[in-house]
Amino acid sequence: MASARTHHSSGGQAGFGLCLAIAAFAISAFLFWSDAQADTLAEPTEPQRIEGLVRLSEISEGALLIETVEPGVYLPAPMLATDIAIETAGPVIRTRVTQRFENPSDQWVEARYVFPLPADSGVDRLRMQVGDRFIEGQIHERQAARRIYEQARDNGQRASLVEQERPNMFTTSVANIGPGETIIIQIEYQDVARLRDGTFEMRIPLGLTPRYIPQAADFQLVAETGYPVPPSVPDAHRITPPVMAPSGEPGDQLRLPVTITAELRPGFELGAITSLYHATRIDRSQPGTARIELADGPIPADRDFVLTWRPADETAPSAALFTEEWNGETYLLAQILPPATLGTDTQRRPRETIFVIDNSGSMAGTSMRQARQALLDALDRLQPEDRFNIIRFDNTMEQVFPAPVEASPARLRQARRFARGLNAEGGTNMLPAMQAALTDDTPEDTSRVRQIVFLTDGAIGNESQLFNAIYEDLGRSRLFPVGIGSAPNTYFMERAARAGRGTFTHIGNVSEVSERMAQLYTALERPVMTQLDALFPEGALAEIWPAPLPDLYYGEPVFMTARVSDPDAMILLEGRLAERGWQTRLDLADAQPASGIAALWARNRIKGIEETRFQGANAAQVDAAVLRTALDFHLVSRLTSLVAVDVTPARPATAPLHSQDIAQMAPQGWDFGAVNRNNPVRHAALDTELLDRLQAHASPEEAALAAENGLALPATATPRQLFTWAGALLMLAGLIFLMMNRERRLW
Amino acid sequence: MVTRSNLLRGGAITCLAAGALALAQGLWIPVKADIAQLLLAQAWTRAIDGESAPTPWPWADTWPVARLSVPELGEHAIVLAEAGGEALAFGPSLLSQSVRPGENGVSVIAAHRDTHFAFLRDVEPGQTIVVERPDGPPALFRVTGSEIVDANRSGIQVAGGEPRLALVTCWPFGSITPGPLRYVVWAESVDMNRI
Repeated sequence: MASARTHHSSGGQAGFGLCLAIAAFAISAFLFWSDAQADTLAEPTEPQRIEGLVRLSEISEGALLIETVEPGVYLPAPMLATDIAIETAGPVIRTRVTQRFENPSDQWVEARYVFPLPADSGVDRLRMQVGDRFIEGQIHERQAARRIYEQARDNGQRASLVEQERPNMFTTSVANIGPGETIIIQIEYQDVARLRDGTFEMRIPLGLTPRYIPQAADFQLVAETGYPVPPSVPDAHRITPPVMAPSGEPGDQLRLPVTITAELRPGFELGAITSLYHATRIDRSQPGTARIELADGPIPADRDFVLTWRPADETAPSAALFTEEWNGETYLLAQILPPATLGTDTQRRPRETIFVIDNSGSMAGTSMRQARQALLDALDRLQPEDRFNIIRFDNTMEQVFPAPVEASPARLRQARRFARGLNAEGGTNMLPAMQAALTDDTPEDTSRVRQIVFLTDGAIGNESQLFNAIYEDLGRSRLFPVGIGSAPNTYFMERAARAGRGTFTHIGNVSEVSERMAQLYTALERPVMTQLDALFPEGALAEIWPAPLPDLYYGEPVFMTARVSDPDAMILLEGRLAERGWQTRLDLADAQPASGIAALWARNRIKGIEETRFQGANAAQVDAAVLRTALDFHLVSRLTSLVAVDVTPARPATAPLHSQDIAQMAPQGWDFGAVNRNNPVRHAALDTELLDRLQAHASPEEAALAAENGLALPATATPRQLFTWAGALLMLAGLIFLMMNRERRLW
Repeated sequence: MVTRSNLLRGGAITCLAAGALALAQGLWIPVKADIAQLLLAQAWTRAIDGESAPTPWPWADTWPVARLSVPELGEHAIVLAEAGGEALAFGPSLLSQSVRPGENGVSVIAAHRDTHFAFLRDVEPGQTIVVERPDGPPALFRVTGSEIVDANRSGIQVAGGEPRLALVTCWPFGSITPGPLRYVVWAESVDMNRI
């Protein structure tokens, strides 16, 4: 009985074993599947913010960002010192920023140097010292630059490529930074002082400005390999907007004091010089020049440095001259600053003003409110003797009056009603509205000036057609585009203003509407300096940019840059102001030397050549001319990039290298100024947890060895046979045991 | 009460279960490799249609970049991008540090010796390897020879030179345990027009 039961149960065990085997198979299959699933599900769907690490989009000042293991997230290297040297020549500001960083880790790392630029400026010089190597950026045609870079990379050399990632942000990668090594980076860029109500203003951003938040479209990382990028930069499209409050900035342990020196040579007798936020010491011992230093020594980098200056005599017309000798040629910058009172005594001339207002869907919300308010403000300034009309457009177009009418109170009421009723909807078809506005039914009327005020965000695609219309039909009309909203198409509007011989006004905020429109109206109502021309003696002139010289509106300075063959020529500047001729003589012999003028001339030249595209110039010729100019003058442009090339002077192999030798080894003409001192600077140690996140790289020796060994190959054996054999053997062993057990019991 | 026979029986059942599990895993590997290739075939058609990085299943961390075939042996496989560690389980992978097939330099494609690249032992010099690409005509290669190298000192210099193809798998074939040696089949680019 007992044996029968045992037998029975033993047969049950064999069946159980089979069931178990099948179940085990099913479970293992499931495990494999879920393994694969878990691997990928574990990837973070939303990148976590880690205190102390940053993304590219959060950078508002020069920073050296060390790669971490997480793509797109960086550790800012401690900044040991910053020196800013500013030199102004007239309105041209040349800024040289030298920054010293340290690799805080004990690993070889790779980093990116990021510097946000003021709008309209461009870096034209980049110098780096990494350890004992000196690297200088050299300009090349964009495609060639990429080839040089790729070739160097493929040859196992260290190289880096500087391309404009966005018009106002430039980045470069720095490879091979050794443990604890110091990196000095120096860039030079050119900017222009903003002129407002007779006062020049210069702003050096030092960290209080809000973080730059890129639009989705203007920040695209390009895969260097040509492979699809999605897995490597999953967040490139994502806007990362956390704005760091000033109090949240790293303390002065990480951001060491900044030294600033400025040399002002405005080209006129200097009146008041004011530093808005910092105590300064001003040295005016040399005529026409002011040297500005920080009064209390270095400052913590916690607020912008803002300097303003104005001429001593605000009524005298002034024209300032600067020249630069560059590659055997003379470059001239003439700055024409009409006295603020010039023409104020002339009577206001009646005008014919055509208002064009964009009420397309892209203007919806705040932009439409701003545009409506701007239009209502403008209507208030009209006098009974003026004529006006309003044209609104989306994908349709409507004129309030069939033709311009006298500004009678009844008609103004009708116009205001119309303005208040405007709503943003529909598409954008600007061309018919532009053509209607340019249609002049009284072209012979010299008693009135004809002005077109064009309120839009400029969200259009057919720019070239519009430029053609402006160039062909402008006649006596003048075009004043008013950019509405936080991100109007300034490219289009600045060029439209230039083509339409008017000025461009940007209104970024509803609170600015009244002030900005008042400024525009002052400019519109004051007489305009027209037919400006510079007459050079026979054979003395090579090339003037911009060409032709734009009209001069109230409060506006006009810059003229020229390449001159005779450095001592006399120039006659003439123009017409309120029906009267105006002229002034400029003696080039009086010009003061200044740097950066050749670059400014080249920038103006490129701008001018690009404009000719809309006047029917051949695209290939335009490209060729732009490319040649950019290469000749070392400018980053639409068609050129900087490639960083190692220029370290050859060192005798026998001479050992000491860190203090590095400074003396610097190539001729290199000056790292105040930051190039070997005195150790103390800063708080970084959180070791953050250092653990850094992406470690092989040291140069390891890299060389790895290159010699060739590509490391992955493991390509599966444990299939091992598992199969081991599994079969185990099962066999189990079965044998069971059998033995049964037999013993039976006996 | 624990007796000797009870212990023996327990041990036997454990052996059976563990054996079944191991056997199942061993048998699952080639099944997974084949199932994955079926799913990949669909992703490949999407790649040809112009989708960049079409993942074969929603949570996959890799995607097809080419289709490799050896007409003389009747072998073919979808090649994956080497993006994570898992790609090799599903198909041959194009190493991310190498170049795209047909471009100047060496394209290195690796796969397991007992699944997708088991056929490499039968590949002989002179045979043709076709690499279809999602965005262009197929690249043709002719096998020039093979060699056995150490995984960490392969001597493969990826950059420069004519387009070449290196198919890599573990050596020796049929070995049960993983080892440091790799079998490399070399092939050189063939001009399409001269066939």
